[in-house]
Amino acid sequence: MLGKLLKHEFRATGRTMLPVLGVLTALVVLANLVVRFGDQIISRYRLAAVLFALIVAAAVFGVIAAEVMAIVVMVQRFYKNLLGDEGYLMHTLPVSVHGLIWSKLIVSLVWIFATNLVIFLLGTLSVVNLGDLSVGQIMTGFPSAEEIREAMAKLGITRMDLWLLILEAILIVLCSGLITCLHFYAAMSLGHMFTQNKILMSIVFFVGINFLFSAMGGILGTVSIQFNADRFFMESSTVLDGLRQLRMMMNSMLGYSLVQGLILYIATALGLQKGLNLA
Amino acid sequence: MAILECKGLSKRFGSVQALDNVNLTIEPGRVVGLLGPNGSGKTTLLKLCNGLLTPSAGEILIAGAKPGPETKAVVSYLPDKPYLADWMNVGQLMDFFADFYGDFDRERALDMLAHLNINEQQSIKQMSKGTREKVQLILVMSRKAGLYLLDEPIGGVDPATRDYILDTIIRNYNPAAAVVISTHLIADVEQVLDEVVFIRNGQIMLQSPVDAIREDKGMSVDQYFREVFKC
Amino acid sequence: MEWKFRSDLPIYSQLVEQISLGIVSGEFPPGAKLPSVRDLAMEAGVNPNTMQRALQELEREGLVYTQRTAGRFVTEQIGVIQGARRTIARQSARIFLDDMKKLGYGREEILSLLEEEKEENHGDSGV
Repeated sequence: MLGKLLKHEFRATGRTMLPVLGVLTALVVLANLVVRFGDQIISRYRLAAVLFALIVAAAVFGVIAAEVMAIVVMVQRFYKNLLGDEGYLMHTLPVSVHGLIWSKLIVSLVWIFATNLVIFLLGTLSVVNLGDLSVGQIMTGFPSAEEIREAMAKLGITRMDLWLLILEAILIVLCSGLITCLHFYAAMSLGHMFTQNKILMSIVFFVGINFLFSAMGGILGTVSIQFNADRFFMESSTVLDGLRQLRMMMNSMLGYSLVQGLILYIATALGLQKGLNLA
Repeated sequence: MAILECKGLSKRFGSVQALDNVNLTIEPGRVVGLLGPNGSGKTTLLKLCNGLLTPSAGEILIAGAKPGPETKAVVSYLPDKPYLADWMNVGQLMDFFADFYGDFDRERALDMLAHLNINEQQSIKQMSKGTREKVQLILVMSRKAGLYLLDEPIGGVDPATRDYILDTIIRNYNPAAAVVISTHLIADVEQVLDEVVFIRNGQIMLQSPVDAIREDKGMSVDQYFREVFKC
Repeated sequence: MEWKFRSDLPIYSQLVEQISLGIVSGEFPPGAKLPSVRDLAMEAGVNPNTMQRALQELEREGLVYTQRTAGRFVTEQIGVIQGARRTIARQSARIFLDDMKKLGYGREEILSLLEEEKEENHGDSGV
């Protein structure tokens, strides 16, 4: 059933997000071209400068707008589809609350990451001056796999270390995305348990959760630094030590994110399961 | 086995007792009218049966099981408000229903849609209020469900549509399934009902076959209702 | 067939009455196959269980019979139909006489009234 929910969810959100990503891509590509070849044209047609400035501004605005849209669609979809009138249909489907939440989570994450990926890729491309480089040259700009391996061996970093680092980095990014979505979901899910002032209560819960987590993070951070002070502030004499410290920090961040995510998820699910109160 | 059974069912909203110790059994093959004035608890009862609310006390069993994904697969529910996403067209909605409900009968739906000259490409947004309600009813009645829970299916529709809706209910009658129709417009539905349940202030006042009321009281259910609920 | 229901009687007994009338008047001729319960229910706009109950009652009275696979048929025994016709006629007569009694009409008065009416409506009543 999750597959069917995902299919429907992509269909519903794609109506908004595909055009948004399309316009974003077009704007950023256009801005790229302007940055790359604008000078030559401006030297001949002075007035083009105004147009180009507008294009670049539009691209910047587009980037912000697309990020905002990804969040707005995520929030609005949950609100309208699960807590509004459409909820009468969604909550009477033969699916579990978990299926409903995960389908929304996964699809929102895909759109948020897709938006960031488009921005990142096109942003990177605009920095690298493609006109001067061939593909081969780009590749030689990076160290070869052989060189990386040699460097790692010299520092005593195993292949495992590297993969774990990459994996953890990915997990942290994923978790932060999940928590962003779940923060909104939990706030709305709890806020809608009330018969009146649902939106106001959602906002109260959003702020409340924020406050709770800041306090929790502060306390946990302080405590863990207290207990691990010697290890934490140990002078990193070697790269390996530095790496270990980095991983320790990442692990605790990941752990804390997972705890936050779990709390938010349970709050969302309980709100929908036990406290559902469609108007 | 009863298709729907409520035992000591109560629901509170803060200080408001919406349902108070409801005991109710509905057998397959019955068309039951859930009758009561506005605010008597009809919608709350149907929402509870659909798992859209959680009971404060007591329990609900649908074909022996508590409301959950399994019972939702056999319950076809028509809420008392427009609930279809308005960007979807009729074809997409049928896909949606067919995807999630194994008992959705597309042929039946197409047949009813053709009868009402509703086009598959038409989106909900483009439809009049009456047409939207018909599409909702068609989707709900095109399922071969074990229990149909229809909340005010004839509230605020024109007489022709009302007749069509009641016709649809009779046409799709299945001796293995029960239909519960909540309404306060009794005279309009009386003839299609087997049984009626009177509900007031969240309490069941009476559950009786229609003809038993007519026989015993010498008046229609509508007249009897007016007498019982006289202000 | 036009279906009309009064509010003070059970629906099923009114269905029995109206289908009997249909059979007696020849709308459902002897030996004719009756529509299915569902179709009849749809036509009358009533609950299929109520229609089923009415048909069972008619079966008990002998006006219709079920052939296991083929469905329900109107009886071919003209005597039974005649009997039903007479029952309905007597019911109507009784109602008429009751009304007349309330109006204070005596036997002679009623008979002469009937004669008068018969002459007036000679052309179209067919009586």
